[in-house]
Amino acid sequence: MKRTVLIPLAVAMIASVAAPLRAERLKVVTTYPYIASIVEQIAKDTVRVDALARGDYDPHTIVPKPSFIAKLRKAHLLIINGAQLEIGWLPPLLKQANNASVNPGTRGFLDLSGHVTLIDVPKSVSRAQGDVHPDGNPHYYIDPHVIPRLARAICTKLSEVDSRNAAMYKKNYDEFAARWKAKRASWDAKLRRLKGAKVIQYHKNMDYLLIRYGLVRMGTVEPLPGIPPTSKHIAELEKIFESNTIRFILQDVYNADDSSRHLSKKFGVKMVKVPHDVGAVREAEGIFSLFDEMVRRLTQ
Amino acid sequence: MSDILITAFALSVVLVGIHAFFGTEIIRRGIIFTDLAIGQMAALGAAASLFFIDGQFVYPISLGFALAGGLLIAWASRHTDNLEAFIGLMYAFGISAVYIILSKSAHGMEEFQRLMASDILFTPQEEVVKTAIIYAVLGVVLFALYRRIDGFWKDALFFVSFAVTVTSSVKLAGVLIVFALLVAPALIAIRVGGGRPLVVAWIVGTLVNLVAIALAHRFDFPTGYTIVFCNALLALLVTIIPRRAKRG
Repeated sequence: MKRTVLIPLAVAMIASVAAPLRAERLKVVTTYPYIASIVEQIAKDTVRVDALARGDYDPHTIVPKPSFIAKLRKAHLLIINGAQLEIGWLPPLLKQANNASVNPGTRGFLDLSGHVTLIDVPKSVSRAQGDVHPDGNPHYYIDPHVIPRLARAICTKLSEVDSRNAAMYKKNYDEFAARWKAKRASWDAKLRRLKGAKVIQYHKNMDYLLIRYGLVRMGTVEPLPGIPPTSKHIAELEKIFESNTIRFILQDVYNADDSSRHLSKKFGVKMVKVPHDVGAVREAEGIFSLFDEMVRRLTQ
Repeated sequence: MSDILITAFALSVVLVGIHAFFGTEIIRRGIIFTDLAIGQMAALGAAASLFFIDGQFVYPISLGFALAGGLLIAWASRHTDNLEAFIGLMYAFGISAVYIILSKSAHGMEEFQRLMASDILFTPQEEVVKTAIIYAVLGVVLFALYRRIDGFWKDALFFVSFAVTVTSSVKLAGVLIVFALLVAPALIAIRVGGGRPLVVAWIVGTLVNLVAIALAHRFDFPTGYTIVFCNALLALLVTIIPRRAKRG
């Protein structure tokens, strides 16, 4: 009698312990939502992916929350933008999370900037020259031609960490790359029409896209990266507006847009708020819609 | 996860330990903003170091600025009738000077903020232990000397030790937390009354911090801001809610 109860109980106990082990999904943490969205494309729901930062915040300064450390502790794989974009907030989080398997240089760590060619790499880093990104401009993913390269790096890394699913990752990557190629053709067609258009940006965060499609960068609203506009600098910009036909002022969603608005009004130049990441605006729900929305706002 | 919360809690207790003393004292003297003024002078030192010598000797330079600020306030407390105005303007001077210096440095403000105020979540355990020892020694020195001396030396001891404390506390937890832990528990203790405001401030501060850290963890709020919020809210409530008459 006793045995008939105990055996099923023991089986149930073993099963309940074993089940979560078997079902445990690979936990991927990314710094920014756009990376998480690419991971979702490659891994679908075989992994659990969490982005630390929100897409509508300034990517340079993210206020840490306790959950960030918890997520980093449990992570099997950490994927970052790199090129020092996270330098202001990620290092102390990593230190406190103390998870040896996702530290830089380990197998569970991927720095996507290692897979692209960066622009504006300074010859010497000096504060006086106004450059504290010694690796170059970190906003490289804003170019749709770069995304497949990032997706491939992610696919390779996922296959390395979780080799059992390598075939599936490869298949998803191929599908993603094909879909992206088709989409990119339509973005290319629309953006190429902007070739030669002169633009002013708030921050140099659209450079890669502007260079790709041959737009002319005439300056930035901020005098130096991260420094709010000064009156002298605005006066200099006004001269540029007076002697050139500026097509747009590109403004991000997180910096104050007073100065851009002032210039826009004074010179009748359209100010376009461009989403820089998934979640920056309501329409940018994933990596595809981010670029759809970016292109729509630039070409409407 | 709990180890980090315990470290954050331990740090907040260490901070309350010494700052409750300074808090009751600055409320008594009516010079609340001394903390912010000295903290801002320390920040000015850090900004100067960051901009002119690429961030070398940040701590000694900001400590030097903080001490200079502390001694200036000590001097002013004997030589001017408008001490609060003097302290307030020292704060305004410090903050504007920092902005002017860093306006020539790309991303300088972000770097500066990181330098000045690490998040309470990020404080390493060793740092908490080290701070606890330093503050304990400082506390004993203050306890032994403070009542025995008088006049300028008393003020000098107070402002110098205060400058040292504020500089290192701000570096650990950020200016806002230091201000909240300095003023809120002390104010609550004074308001509640009783013979030993310092002991009341210690107990209240510790309990509030415990609740704040638990809330931050439960709802995933930024830990530092939650601590400030809870301390400030309770102090405001205790001040607004009328005290029951003690007669009868």
